Amino acid sequence: MSGIDDPRIIEAARREAPRSGVLGWLANILDAITGIPGKWRESFRRGPVRTVALTVLLGLGVAYPILALYVLAPFSRNVFPLPLAGDTDLVFMLIFATMAIGLNVVIGFAGLLDLGYVAFYALGAYTAAFLASPHWSGLSFVLLSDVPPGFPGIHIAFWFILPLAAIVAAFWGALLGAPTLRLRGDYLAIVTLGFGEIVPVIFKNLVGVNFELGPIKLVDANLTGGPLGINPIDPPNLFGIKFGAVGGVAPVYLAMVIVFVSLLIARNLEHSRMGRAWAAIREDETAAEMMGVNTVRTKLLAFALGASFAGLAGSLQASYQGATTSDFFQFSTSILVVIMIILGGIGNIYGALVGALALVYVDKVLLAWIGQRMQGFGRSIDNDAIAHLNPASFNFLIFGIVLVAMMRFRPEGLIPNRQRTAELHEAPPDQAIGSAAVLGEAAIASEAQAEAIAEEVASEQGSASQPDAPPRDPDGAGP
Amino acid sequence: MEQLIQTAIIGLSNGLIYALVALGYTLVYGIIELINFAHGSVFMLGSMLALTLFLALGIHGSMPVGVILLAILLVLLVTMTVTATLNVAIERVAYRPLRHAPKLAPLISAIGMDFVLQNVGLLWKGPANQSIENIVPPTNVLTTVLGLQTGLEISYKQLMVAAVTIPLLVALTWFVTRTRQGKAMRATAQDPDTSGLMGINVNRTIAITFLIGGALAGAAGTVQILFNNTTVWNLGFRFGLNAFTSAVLGGIGNLPGAVLGGLILGMINAYSDRYLAAQWTNAIVFAVLIGILVFRPTGLLGQQLAERA
Amino acid sequence: MTAEKLPTDIRTGVLRDEELLVKARGVTKRFGGLVAVNNVDFDIPRGSIVSLIGPNGAGKTTFFNMITGYYTPTAGEISLDRKTIAGMRRGRIRSLKPHEVTALGIGRTFQNIRLFGTMSSLDNVLVGLHVHLRSHFWDAILRTPSVYREEAAAREQARQLLDLVGLLDRQETWARNLPYGDQRRLEIARALATRPKLLLLDEPTAGMNAGETRDMTDFIRRLRAELGLTVLLIEHDMRVVMGISDRVTVLDYGEVIAEGSPAEVRANPKVIEAYLGRGAADQAAPPAAGASPAQSSSEA
Repeated sequence: MSGIDDPRIIEAARREAPRSGVLGWLANILDAITGIPGKWRESFRRGPVRTVALTVLLGLGVAYPILALYVLAPFSRNVFPLPLAGDTDLVFMLIFATMAIGLNVVIGFAGLLDLGYVAFYALGAYTAAFLASPHWSGLSFVLLSDVPPGFPGIHIAFWFILPLAAIVAAFWGALLGAPTLRLRGDYLAIVTLGFGEIVPVIFKNLVGVNFELGPIKLVDANLTGGPLGINPIDPPNLFGIKFGAVGGVAPVYLAMVIVFVSLLIARNLEHSRMGRAWAAIREDETAAEMMGVNTVRTKLLAFALGASFAGLAGSLQASYQGATTSDFFQFSTSILVVIMIILGGIGNIYGALVGALALVYVDKVLLAWIGQRMQGFGRSIDNDAIAHLNPASFNFLIFGIVLVAMMRFRPEGLIPNRQRTAELHEAPPDQAIGSAAVLGEAAIASEAQAEAIAEEVASEQGSASQPDAPPRDPDGAGP
Repeated sequence: MEQLIQTAIIGLSNGLIYALVALGYTLVYGIIELINFAHGSVFMLGSMLALTLFLALGIHGSMPVGVILLAILLVLLVTMTVTATLNVAIERVAYRPLRHAPKLAPLISAIGMDFVLQNVGLLWKGPANQSIENIVPPTNVLTTVLGLQTGLEISYKQLMVAAVTIPLLVALTWFVTRTRQGKAMRATAQDPDTSGLMGINVNRTIAITFLIGGALAGAAGTVQILFNNTTVWNLGFRFGLNAFTSAVLGGIGNLPGAVLGGLILGMINAYSDRYLAAQWTNAIVFAVLIGILVFRPTGLLGQQLAERA
Repeated sequence: MTAEKLPTDIRTGVLRDEELLVKARGVTKRFGGLVAVNNVDFDIPRGSIVSLIGPNGAGKTTFFNMITGYYTPTAGEISLDRKTIAGMRRGRIRSLKPHEVTALGIGRTFQNIRLFGTMSSLDNVLVGLHVHLRSHFWDAILRTPSVYREEAAAREQARQLLDLVGLLDRQETWARNLPYGDQRRLEIARALATRPKLLLLDEPTAGMNAGETRDMTDFIRRLRAELGLTVLLIEHDMRVVMGISDRVTVLDYGEVIAEGSPAEVRANPKVIEAYLGRGAADQAAPPAAGASPAQSSSEA
């Protein structure tokens, strides 16, 4: 089939979007950037308070690392201890934000519950570990990295690893998704959970491998670093600036850029024909398929693309920390990311961002801070129980309660997506359209067939005993 | 050869415990199509309660047999009552309000509940493994009592597992197939709406399902303490996934299937531990789970699902 | 367009292959022991409006679902424009996937409206256009100029379709917030967006009053005249069926019991029996009507 071929329509489209090619693309980007003030004024006209507040918040956010370094941290040290996020906390907040934005593509856009997202995070991290560390000490390969030539191991610059990690994660996402995306929603959740458990086990256990197949011969080979993991991993490096764990605010800004790009990608996907197809599948998978949407391929795309964000995040984590071990990648991490997007507002990319920042902040900073305050308070009143009660070790108790409470009282999250809110709060029966196939609940064929049998049987009986049946035809209830 | 059989015996004993927990998954899935993530942690709390009770009662292996049997019975009853109540409460708080929400909402709620329960265990007993001395002796019945000349070993412990589990399985089967309430359960599993119209109290039926599932988890927890002597706050996660895999393997929603799946999974675990390497066992279990879901989602005995899904 | 303009002789049912848009031969669908559709032969001539009627549970929707690729027939073959939708391939009956059938040129509506409720009318139609859009995900991620142009063209076309069904001024409204009649028309616009050769309408006038029904009937005629569409209709309202159809096929218990022009079908005693019971058939059937000329061979 050809695309849209009506010459008048093509002409109209050409008038509306006259640019083409790479130059046109650059011009569009330039337009988008120069259009920001105009858009800001427009937004200000519609909601001045909101616009100003968001602008200030964004500005503060961007300035925060420096602000914290020169103003807040000295204040916290000298005057009153504040629950301040340090550089490492900030990087982790942003790494998780990248993951939340990605998982939101899978759960929020396409409605597929992925409980093994951590696997792709691990794959990204190990991609960086394999390609930018002395791990393969028998080899020596340096590509645009600041490591001196001849140094043992593969050392590829982070800027190549980043997209590569995304591709590796997407590849494994596609590989896992291809056979499993036909499964109903809750089964998919379990399969992904299993995958998320298997991947770290493999990374942990592929050490001391003895293997022989034709020309390939491994004797006590250390493939993955085993339980110790791999280190040191080269930090990202640009014009001599190192973005590693001791890099101060530099890695924070690198992570910010990655989050910003992730946001752009997710937003562009949402407002594309793919985004529409995902929304349609979420609403009514059968109807979407009948309208020509290749549901399996479209879901696979969401799954793989979503995984690629975790790949980005993983490679950043490994390069930033300079080390990775399989213990880092647990089921609870997958769930943490799920909680982030549910807290923020399922289907809303800004919700995912806010949910991630808030949750990691609470997890890594606020709970520890409260623990310290309680310790101080407990000591001051000589109460051992309070002094030893460390809320940080019960973080998942709190998150679990949040999860249950959110599902019950505010399933649409703190920053709701309008469409998702409508889906999560059931429509009154007279407004409900079609089947309630929301949140990715897949109507599998056998289910539909079973219904059809029941309906056919019921109506056969109906037509046999009641020849003058009313015109409403249950047979027509369709697939 | 002897080793093969011995491994099977070990696998079957553990498999019976899996079966008890798997039944909880399969009952709940059968009736409201929810993977009750929190179930593994109910089992874990049951094992902790049983451990606490045995320690509180000061029971140890050198006591007279009658006292031990009585104590086991008592602990079993208390634990089953508590976990059954807990399970019903979970249903009431976390799932019932979401009965008409999109299907993944209760699933997410269940995951949250699981974390809550795990942390209750963590708060209660701390992060370390909790152990207890042998109460039922691990003496080999075959050689010491029956006086057989064999390298095989069936211990009192293993007999205890069977003695607790098998009557419960029989009772459950009787309940589901023979009683009025059991019929109501099966009807609700078929079609909750129609059952409601036919005068079945759907909420009560679902609550009873959770009650039974919880009681079985409590029994499994007690047996776990007696058989493996140990528990820890995150025991429910691994164990629960094994049990869930058993349920899926047998065909989720199918009661005999859950038992069969539990036994098979116990054997897979035992053989993998024995002949492969223990650190791969979890990966193998998950590979089995994924394989079944992809290639035969109805499981071994799962005809029912295809009809009623 | 009227009957004279239609290809050869629609009444005798003798048509050359190239004049048939849909050709189904020996189509059977069994669910377990239940035969929902039994050995049905069914043709849809190009440019015609054909109705499929029958009592409840006669297998009409099952047949619909086989044409659209949702069910795979147990036996038989179905083709559209001489391209196989379902048929024997490599040892067993295989069917195209629904989205492949849609791409081949079949658009449909649903009896119990299945719009994407929380998407705007425009987006609903744009989903229908999905098959005809070519941009890849990397285009979408990068927002290349070709995506801009394609989206502009798609929106333009979607607006034209909304205009055609009279919903242009509701393009931003969520589908679920439209009145019932508008929802039916939006479904048709969405189906038209897939650019079908054959439009399947499942009870398009269900729940409509007389005035709305008349409008819908006129609209369906207009679709054929202006867009050259072929239409297959499932409908219970006999005034609609008799008023609009070139040809009517009656299913009962999964079998074709009559086929022909509306007048012939109306007079066929088997049809009357199927709908009203045997007694009514005896009373109503005039002696001459016994010779129903358009009986399908599949009755045998």
